[in-house]
Amino acid sequence: MNSILHYLKNKRLVWQAHQNVHSTAQLDSTGFKELDAELQGGFPKQGVVDIDSPVGIGELRLLLPNLHARQQSNGRLLVFIAPSMRINSEMLAEYGFNLQQVLVIHPDSPKEALWCAEQCLKSGCCQAVLLWHQAIEIHQVKRLQLAAEQGDALHVLLRQNKQVSLSLPVSLGMRLRAHPQGLNIEITKRKGGWPGRPFNLDMNQQWPQLTIQPRPDNVLPFPHSKVS
Amino acid sequence: MKNLWLYLHFPHLQLDTLFSQDPAEHALAILDSKTNTVLQLNTQAKEAGIALHMGLGTAAALDQSLQVIPYQADIERHKLKDIAEALYLVTCDICFFPPNGLLLRIHNMLNLYAGLDAYWQVLQNQLATLGITYDYATGHSPFAARMLARDAWNQVTNDYSIMKKRVGDCALKQTELHPKTIQKLNRVGIHSVANLLKLPLKDVAKRFDIDLVTYLGRLTGEFQHPMHFFHPPDHFHRYLELMFDIENTQTLQHPLKHLFAALEQFLKVRDLLTQQLMLTFKQRDKEDLLLEIGSAQGEYQAQKWLTLAALKLENLQLTGPVCAITLKTGETQVRSPDKSDLFSGKKGTLSALQLISMLQAKLGEDAIQGLALHNDFRPEVASAYSAPLIQSDTLRQLQPLRPSFLLQIPQPLREKVSIIHGPERLHTGWWDNKETTRDYFVARSTLGQWYWVFKTPDTQWYLHGIFG
Repeated sequence: MNSILHYLKNKRLVWQAHQNVHSTAQLDSTGFKELDAELQGGFPKQGVVDIDSPVGIGELRLLLPNLHARQQSNGRLLVFIAPSMRINSEMLAEYGFNLQQVLVIHPDSPKEALWCAEQCLKSGCCQAVLLWHQAIEIHQVKRLQLAAEQGDALHVLLRQNKQVSLSLPVSLGMRLRAHPQGLNIEITKRKGGWPGRPFNLDMNQQWPQLTIQPRPDNVLPFPHSKVS
Repeated sequence: MKNLWLYLHFPHLQLDTLFSQDPAEHALAILDSKTNTVLQLNTQAKEAGIALHMGLGTAAALDQSLQVIPYQADIERHKLKDIAEALYLVTCDICFFPPNGLLLRIHNMLNLYAGLDAYWQVLQNQLATLGITYDYATGHSPFAARMLARDAWNQVTNDYSIMKKRVGDCALKQTELHPKTIQKLNRVGIHSVANLLKLPLKDVAKRFDIDLVTYLGRLTGEFQHPMHFFHPPDHFHRYLELMFDIENTQTLQHPLKHLFAALEQFLKVRDLLTQQLMLTFKQRDKEDLLLEIGSAQGEYQAQKWLTLAALKLENLQLTGPVCAITLKTGETQVRSPDKSDLFSGKKGTLSALQLISMLQAKLGEDAIQGLALHNDFRPEVASAYSAPLIQSDTLRQLQPLRPSFLLQIPQPLREKVSIIHGPERLHTGWWDNKETTRDYFVARSTLGQWYWVFKTPDTQWYLHGIFG
């Protein structure tokens, strides 16, 4: 074998498709059993997670169990950068978040938002940074990835991908679609793994009121008949 | 204990102050603008043949490239204060002799340093860091030390007989007596200090005025010499005159580095932190520009302040060239080192407060918010933004099923939605004239988005939140 390739392989810098073992990256449970199984463990402990989702279908609920567990374990800051609407503190408090450890940043421009995200990730005092950003480029993601590794933090990039774009160098990429029982998730990219088929995640257990259960087959809807 | 004094004389303080960083390449002279004579000059000027007290015309004729700077007592006064502050780290009693002298009372320091030689060594090292030329001498009285230092005796001793002999050898011109008195003394055949000291004080008092007697008494050390010793200031306040005007905020960082280094030194020896710095940029022909830099945690390190200042400077618009900078500190506090767990693993470089200060420096105070809860049932009141890292104290039981995003102002609902849950009636706020009656529903749009909508009593539908 080519000596350089050999060297790189020994250094574990080259990933080969036949290596079916889990990557060395540490994983954190997402709080959803099905999703954990699909991701072979959960969200990465540090790095960038790219979530492509419309607003309001449950994209934040997907993250909450993981973020809450992180806050419980290390008590570092949770940062929201440039959310499109006000973050409701009632909801976070109800879920059990310590509001003192939450920051909301409203930068003036997308460029400043990226700067904030990088500073927060690098600082080492933030456990996770959620950034709403629409047009991010590959080199910017790389910077965020490095910053997240440096500060041992999780960066979640939330965007609505309108057009098909290049694959971003992220640890995990997911495309979310609305589904009555929860979410339809397609894993578009996973470090050290294959992207899978889209699957449905049932959130009924966590949020029974925000899911619609399918009618059992043996029940017929009562006919709307007008009484004359 | 015998009294011992040390006088430090700085023969060209203004020249050293202005050019200590980068020595000039050509001849320089400081000129007294009243008499038009040379007061201070550098080596190049000396080589050209220029001497002290020479007129400007002669000096200019000797060296055509001579650069002339007017004498400014202010610069020397400021510098003298800086020197005193630096020396205060190693010696306690310092007295100003403006414009260019410092007197140190040293006999009470000798026990600490175990002898004069060791003390002088330490003092010399401290002076070396300042990069200033100085003449020095010890004396048995303040005036004796001053006279010998100004004569550039440059010796340190605690042997009174040597000092007294040396003082006696001085001519009357070197004393601080009024020229008229010196003339009178010369007329009666007294030319040196020794001659004068031989006369009994009583006789001197009969023939001459009381000022001479006082002077003699103080010179010999028989009379007490009243003096005010230097007390280091509580607050850092420094003025830096720039060598040349700066119009670019990037370039401003260089002089700021010097100021912050001085600040670090000041705060470090006092074990203090400051949370706020006030920088004033003096702009030529324009209004002064005030810049406040804050750090929530409190800092003393120059590097940290420089980072914060750089972020602030990015947004700063200079209206004119900056010719001087003043740096002041706000409130200071005693440093209490943060205790962090050694075993909790990887540590970042910043603390939460430092991070917030940095973000605020760049984006402004209002861009960084924390979350707070208020004791109210109205969702828009209950959920609020607050200053970051503030503990909110709410005991009210929290309502289940609240959306993660709230609209700032509820928007009329313009979409077709299907109601999934509800209603939840809120009828509250009658006490502060913002009475609200709303029936809240959880609804799902045709695209699968989960909405929090409400109906008013007059059946208007509004969108108030989104379940993210």
